[in-house]
Amino acid sequence: MLVGAYYNPGKPTGFVNDYAGVIDSQQKQALETKLVQFEKDTSNEISVVIIPSLKGDTIENFAVKLFEDWAIGKKDNDNGILLLVAIEDRKMRIEVGYGLEGALTDAQSYSIIVNDLQPAFRANDYAGGISKAIDDIILATKGEYTATQNSSKNSSGVNFEWIFFLVFGLPIWLSSVLARSRSWWAGGVIGVVMGIILIFVFSLVVGMIASIILGLLGLLLDYNVSKSYGKAKATGGVMPWWFGGGKSGGFGGGGFGGFGGGSSGGGGSSGGW
Amino acid sequence: MSKKVWLIVLAVVVLVVLYAGGLYNSLVKDNENINGQWAQVETQYQRRFDLIPNLVNSVKGAMAQEKSVFDAIAEARTKYGSATTPEAKVGAANQVESALSRLLVVMENYPQLKSIDTVQTLMVQLEGTENRISTERGRFNDLVKTYDAKIKTIPANIFAKIFGFAERAYFESQDGSETAPKVNF
Repeated sequence: MLVGAYYNPGKPTGFVNDYAGVIDSQQKQALETKLVQFEKDTSNEISVVIIPSLKGDTIENFAVKLFEDWAIGKKDNDNGILLLVAIEDRKMRIEVGYGLEGALTDAQSYSIIVNDLQPAFRANDYAGGISKAIDDIILATKGEYTATQNSSKNSSGVNFEWIFFLVFGLPIWLSSVLARSRSWWAGGVIGVVMGIILIFVFSLVVGMIASIILGLLGLLLDYNVSKSYGKAKATGGVMPWWFGGGKSGGFGGGGFGGFGGGSSGGGGSSGGW
Repeated sequence: MSKKVWLIVLAVVVLVVLYAGGLYNSLVKDNENINGQWAQVETQYQRRFDLIPNLVNSVKGAMAQEKSVFDAIAEARTKYGSATTPEAKVGAANQVESALSRLLVVMENYPQLKSIDTVQTLMVQLEGTENRISTERGRFNDLVKTYDAKIKTIPANIFAKIFGFAERAYFESQDGSETAPKVNF
């Protein structure tokens, strides 16, 4: 198997993310405005990511992983596109979400890479090449989906949520506290302490048995939640539902509000310059 | 024994039952996800399967003397077409893959082919398909890995055995065929 050296470059701050510093802020702003407007019109999410290096990974693998991490595109339509550029490796890739594979085929992606990106990149005109590529991608994908109002708001019933909270409220709260705490063993300690309290309430034997069982259960719970919290946090991914709180959307002024949960499966094309 | 002891026993039993129930459901879900992911892999196999005749037809004329390569591809395709079990499909798909990469290597000797638009388009499509296959296959293996680890760890292994959840097999691809054949123009 490929031992990828994929790393998460960070949290997306907009549709355009330049981690290599090759396009200036004015050009970035122009691209961003275009992509924000395109998302508003069609709900398609096009993300431009420029990284300094792939660190030994292949661009195909890096693009798939990054697409997965950021979840570009809307959840229901998988209508995201990632234009990934690795400066040191002199490689680029257009990774197409499942829902746009029909609109932007591999052959089209390839022709965008060869005709728009390659010549411009060879002349060190990153912003110019990307801008042309974006125009062509927009042209190819604009008819595919239409923007829907209120796309990703949670609309599950209030009643259900109330019952849910009453039944699962305490365990979830406990889980989230235990998960966020650094330790993976505090849950076990809490379990044992609860058992020891039972010694006084009931009897020694009962309390001992209870403390062993509760201790193990707490340990198991804490270990599991701590592990998955750490994992989710490290990748900048979406927290499992039981962490509560949710992640802050950061919707402000009609700009970039985070990606919508789309996925891709290796469609698109790659190239170098 | 006092009433309180029974309450504790009851609480423990309830906890165990809740745990086992939750585990059962999650294992069923995992299994379905793995099956779904396998279907994704097969979709991409089919896509490759459908692309091959187009590619073969457009290069056959110029590569008439490379008969053995085309024979190998045809044979592997027939085998894949008649495979019914996942295991047979994996085997046949690996054979298709190696025959195909041989074709791609041989094609390097015919640089004039690369200037033909149809050939170029087909190669791009093929490359895309190979990449999709490796992506979906990687995800399949990831799911299987998580699932296998889950049913092998304490205490889930006890319940997994009781419920009859068996280990799932990884996707074993042929040596040297893990990466998609690379095409450089």
